[in-house]
Amino acid sequence: MQTDPHALVDAEHGLVSRRIFIEPEIYEAELARIFARCWLFLCHDSQVARPGDFFTTYMGEDPVLVVRDGGGAVHAFLNVCRHRGNRLCRADSGNAASFTCAYHGWTYGNDGRLVGVPYLKEAYRDGLDRAQWGLLPVAQLDQYKGLWFATFDPAAPPLAAYLGEMAWYLDNFIDRREGGIEIVAMHKWTMPCNWKFPAENFGGDAYHVPWSHLSAITTAFSTGVTARPEATGTMVSPGNGHVLICVGPEMVGEPPVGELQAYDRATRPEVAARLGPRFGLVNPIVGTMFPNFSLLRATSRTFRVWHPRGPGRTEVWSWVFIDKAAPPEVKEAIRLAGVRGFSPAGTFEQDDMDNWQECTETCRGVVARRMKLNTQMGLGRERFDPALGGWASDYRYSESNHRQFYRRWAELMAAAPDA
Amino acid sequence: MPDADLIREVEQFLYREARLLDERRFREWLDLFTDDLRYFMVNRSNRYPPASKAIAVLDPSAAPDREDERAILDESKETLAARVARLDTGMAWAEDPPSRSRHLIANIEVEPGAAEGEVEACCNFIVYRSRGEREEDFYVGARRDLLRRVGGAWRIARRRLVLDQNVLSAKNVSVFF
Repeated sequence: MQTDPHALVDAEHGLVSRRIFIEPEIYEAELARIFARCWLFLCHDSQVARPGDFFTTYMGEDPVLVVRDGGGAVHAFLNVCRHRGNRLCRADSGNAASFTCAYHGWTYGNDGRLVGVPYLKEAYRDGLDRAQWGLLPVAQLDQYKGLWFATFDPAAPPLAAYLGEMAWYLDNFIDRREGGIEIVAMHKWTMPCNWKFPAENFGGDAYHVPWSHLSAITTAFSTGVTARPEATGTMVSPGNGHVLICVGPEMVGEPPVGELQAYDRATRPEVAARLGPRFGLVNPIVGTMFPNFSLLRATSRTFRVWHPRGPGRTEVWSWVFIDKAAPPEVKEAIRLAGVRGFSPAGTFEQDDMDNWQECTETCRGVVARRMKLNTQMGLGRERFDPALGGWASDYRYSESNHRQFYRRWAELMAAAPDA
Repeated sequence: MPDADLIREVEQFLYREARLLDERRFREWLDLFTDDLRYFMVNRSNRYPPASKAIAVLDPSAAPDREDERAILDESKETLAARVARLDTGMAWAEDPPSRSRHLIANIEVEPGAAEGEVEACCNFIVYRSRGEREEDFYVGARRDLLRRVGGAWRIARRRLVLDQNVLSAKNVSVFF
C-alpha cells in the first residue's frame, strides 16, 4: 500500500479519510494486516459440541472449517483442499468423521490429517508424503468462555493478552450466570457497506439511537435505553481497539417484554456477584471487539461478525444468545426479540443498513472522498479511568470510541504486513 | 379436491391481498389476518444429505438442523400491526423513500383444511423490490397459508414462508409478504 495509514486517520483531531471505506488497495491491505493478524471470532462452543461436529465460517475472506475431532479436541483449518485449492466442506454445519473433496476425492480426517488419496500407489508411486499434506491449521486457536477465536498470525499475542480488560466487558454479555450462554437463532445476510461502519457503530455510536431508531422505540420494539432523557452512561475503550457503549449501572436495557424485564430484575443479584464491583459502576450494552466482532444486549442479545466482502460489501453473521440457565419462556422471548429487533427484518437493524450503505456509496465520488469524516464529539474530554480499566468519555454521547477504533486501525495498517 | 368455485375464490382472495401490498394499503392488508395469526419466514440451510459421499458421518444424532433458529420473521397480529405503525412514524428509514414492490404468486394449490371453514393454500412467490434510484432485490420462495372463513370472508390465520436463499442477498427485509 502506497499511502501512510497515519495520513488517513488523524485521531488527535478526530478526522478520518473516506478513502479507507472504498479504495480496493486499502481493502487488500486490511485483509493482510488486520484480518490475517488479529484474533477473529469463529463460533460458539455449543455449535461444535460433540465429536465430529463442524461449523464452516470465514476469517476475513479466508474460508475456515471448525471441527471437533473424535478425541474431543477442537481444530480450525483453512477450508481448502491442499491439492487444487477447492473448497473442501460446503455445508454450514453438521457432523463428520472425515471430509472428502468433491474434485478428486482427497479425504481428510476431522483432525485434519490427509487419510485418503485416490490412486496413491499407482499414480504417485512413493512421491506423496500424506503427513505433509494435511489441512492447514490456523496459527493460534483458543476460546474465551465458550467463544472460539483464531488468528493466522503465529506472532500474535495470546488471546488473553489480546482481550486484556475487554474480557470483563465480554463477561457482561456471555458470563452473567452459571453455565454461560446458548444460541437460540442465527441469521446471515449481505449489506452493501464497508465493514467498518457497523463495527464503529456498535462500538461507540449511542448518538444515532434517538434519531435512527426512534420509530422502533415509539412502536414498542425497544425501551430505547440510551435515548431516554434521564439516561446516563459512558463510552469505554479498554485497549487494543476494543470499544463499548455503556449505560449507567441502574439502567435496564432489556426489550419491553414482560418476561425479559422480570428476568433482568430477578437475576440482577446473581449477575452482580459474578461480575464484581465494576458492575456497580457501568453497564456495557453494545460493543465491538476489534476488528469485526460486535455484541449487543439491549433490545436483543446478539453477537455478530462483520465479514468483509470487498470494500463496499459486508456479510453479517449474527447469533442470538441467552443465558443457558434461563427458563424456556425467557429463551423463546429473547429469540423473538432478536427476530423482531436485530435481524435482516429487525425493526432496529433494517434502518441501520440503509444508512451504512449510503455512507459507503457516496465515497465513490473523488470529490466526496476528499471530505474528511468528523469524529470530534467529546474530543479531548476522554480520560483513563482505572476503575473501568479503559479510556472513558465524560458524557453518554461521545466519539471517543471511534477515535480509539481508528487509531488502532492505523497502527495495525502501518505495521509491516509480515510483522 | 375442493371444487373449482372455491379454488377460484381463494385465488382471487390471494391476488387481491398481493395487490394491497403493492399499493401500500397496509391497514387494509392487516384486516385480512385473524387475531390468532402466526406469520413465519425462514431461510434455507446448507446441509449434506444422508447419502452424500462428501463426508463420512460420525454421529447421525448430532448437530440437528433447527428451523426456528433461522426464522427471519416470527410475528403475531400485534407485532405485525406494530411494524405497520412504524411505517407511519415518518422515521422508518429503510422504507423512506418507500420500496416499490411487486408481489407475484403462482402455482397455487388449494387443499381442504383440518377444521370446518378452513382451507390450506400453498403457492410460490417472487417479490420484486425496487427502491431509490437503482436498488433491486428479489425475494423468492414458497408459502403455505391457513385460511379461515370468518363472517363470510376469508382471513389468514397462519402464513409460513420459506426463502430459497441461504445468505440473504438483500440488505434487509423491510417489505411484507
